[in-house]
Amino acid sequence: MPDSDLKHGFITDSSLCKGCMECMRVCPTQAIRVKAGKASYIPDYCIDCGLCLRVCTSGAISATTLDFEDLDRFKFKVAVPSASLYSQFPVQDSPAHINQALLKLGFDKVWDSSIEIEMGNRALKDCVRNWQGSYPLISSNCPVIVRLVQVAYPTMVNQLIPIESPRELAARALKRRYSQELGLAEEEIGAIYITPCQTKTISILQPAEDGKSDLDGAIGVNEIYNEMLGLLRDLDAGDIDTAKQGLISTTMLDWGTPEGQIKNLPKRRCLALTGLANIINVFDDIEKGKIRDIEFLECHVCHGGCVAGNLMVDNPYLARSKLLNILSQDNPTTREFEQEVERRYPLEDFTLKAPLKPRELNDAAGNLIERVKKQQHAGLVLDRLPGLNCGLCGAPSCKAHAEDVASNKYPPEDCVLLSRDRVALLQKLYLPDEPDQAEEESDEAASGD
Amino acid sequence: MADILMRHDFDVQGRNFDKAGEVSSEIKVILKGLGIDSKIIRRVVVVSFEAEMNVTMYADKGTIVFELTDRNILLTISDEGPGIPDIEQALQEGYSTAPDEMRELGFGFGMGLPNMKKNSDEFEIDSVVARGTTVHARIGHNA
Ligand SMILES: Nc1ncnc2c1ncn2[C@@H]1O[C@H](COP(=O)(O)OP(=O)(O)OP(=O)(O)O)[C@@H](O)[C@H]1O
Ligand SMILES: [Mg+2]
Repeated sequence: MPDSDLKHGFITDSSLCKGCMECMRVCPTQAIRVKAGKASYIPDYCIDCGLCLRVCTSGAISATTLDFEDLDRFKFKVAVPSASLYSQFPVQDSPAHINQALLKLGFDKVWDSSIEIEMGNRALKDCVRNWQGSYPLISSNCPVIVRLVQVAYPTMVNQLIPIESPRELAARALKRRYSQELGLAEEEIGAIYITPCQTKTISILQPAEDGKSDLDGAIGVNEIYNEMLGLLRDLDAGDIDTAKQGLISTTMLDWGTPEGQIKNLPKRRCLALTGLANIINVFDDIEKGKIRDIEFLECHVCHGGCVAGNLMVDNPYLARSKLLNILSQDNPTTREFEQEVERRYPLEDFTLKAPLKPRELNDAAGNLIERVKKQQHAGLVLDRLPGLNCGLCGAPSCKAHAEDVASNKYPPEDCVLLSRDRVALLQKLYLPDEPDQAEEESDEAASGD
Repeated sequence: MADILMRHDFDVQGRNFDKAGEVSSEIKVILKGLGIDSKIIRRVVVVSFEAEMNVTMYADKGTIVFELTDRNILLTISDEGPGIPDIEQALQEGYSTAPDEMRELGFGFGMGLPNMKKNSDEFEIDSVVARGTTVHARIGHNA
């Protein structure tokens, strides 16, 4: 896939960028540079984790989600809420209330993914049990994980769970159902995911495997939050059957929660991992062959799972407690639910739209001797750099700067300790109202000599 | 013999489990930086990791020498340790003299040497009891 085709889940507006470098410092794949006071990124290395979006204070980075007006192109609009949506509103607002508010917001239907999630649980269990390839298998539900493996652990791509996510199954099921019921073409039905994070948006815009998502887009929870709060307060008491909390099965609430997927699997052979840094450590160990007895890794890039997604509003601990509150209410799974899962499971096609492949990176230019020279050159440049990792050169670390220099992307003198010009440039950019200190100082130094 | 395009020497401290695996991580970074095929990198990393673990587990100290030629990656792991009395036997899957506490750490399944051999195109062990062990591994690449 040529890199120009790589879409990412956020939009950057460099006119707003203040060049603060926060995004550059947090990017786990060191994909961001801040030269001339503006951030830019190397699309090849971006894994859509959204940490940059989380720390950006200038508004230069925003999530690509859908505009509400975009939805008007569909004759029939169906919301597919992530379970984490139900964790975001006051405790008295049950999932039934929240679904009702989604209808008031303008959706024609709200799709409950309980059945797809339960099928996902079963498919996962069968996949782990019958697996013939290398262990451990790695959950593919969090799109950041899939992209991390594609970019940084290419040999582990065939350990990603090769089954379709419940949200995709849901989109397919609802289009089938409503096109039949309403006599509409599937293209006239919009399946819109209500997403906790920007990464799921990209997984819809551009699935990690080649292919087209069955969902038509995503709306971030934060985008509808305020309006939803208002609608929830205005709901007519008669609109909702308060005896029911409103979900077909509350087991759906576990899917995006740490340990929610391994709860049906043999515990001793499964690990639930959270947080990108921890996950990277474990993946490094897998690469070395250090992890031998584990069959399945459930991975959540966000500590706390999907309730901690970067488009959520509430603090993840409160959010989790609200999910626990819903789960604690007496809500026996109904026979209809179980029968429906039984009926659909053998009919469902869980295969991905295309096999997952490593992402092709354009960093292996030149023949081996040239690449060795380049690496040695980078080593020599690094020896001359201060090792402070201050980032003022616009690269996240001295090592990254040395590699940029060796690749002829930037001059070594971008380092502030190697060149006063860089200091002067930064002063102009970041302290535009100050007199030109660098010049004065160097004048003084010259006269003092 | 083909020209050595690149060479790195690393020290490994025996019984330092805290640091065990760091050399393999460094080798991985070097090979990734060179754009070596990821399948080859994985084989090299498995070999160097198992070798590093064996030095850590059984010897007092050792070295890992990494060399790159236009066709091969060569790893030479030498240690000052107890040596291996019966190399045939040590190469059998499941043969291990690792003590129980190692097994609790998830090592000592007797899979290290067999895995190293499986992942190498050429593999050789020289060992002198009470002196030490040297392992040579060659992994071909076509970068
Ligand atoms: N460098 C060494 N010095 C001395 N003895 C060694 C050395 N390397 C291996 N051995 C001996 O060979 C045996 C088999 O080694 P191997 O690496 O295959 O398995 P292991 O280290 O016991 O277990 P595992 O590698 O699965 O953790 C070891 O138990 C040990 O007795
Ligand atoms: Mg061993």
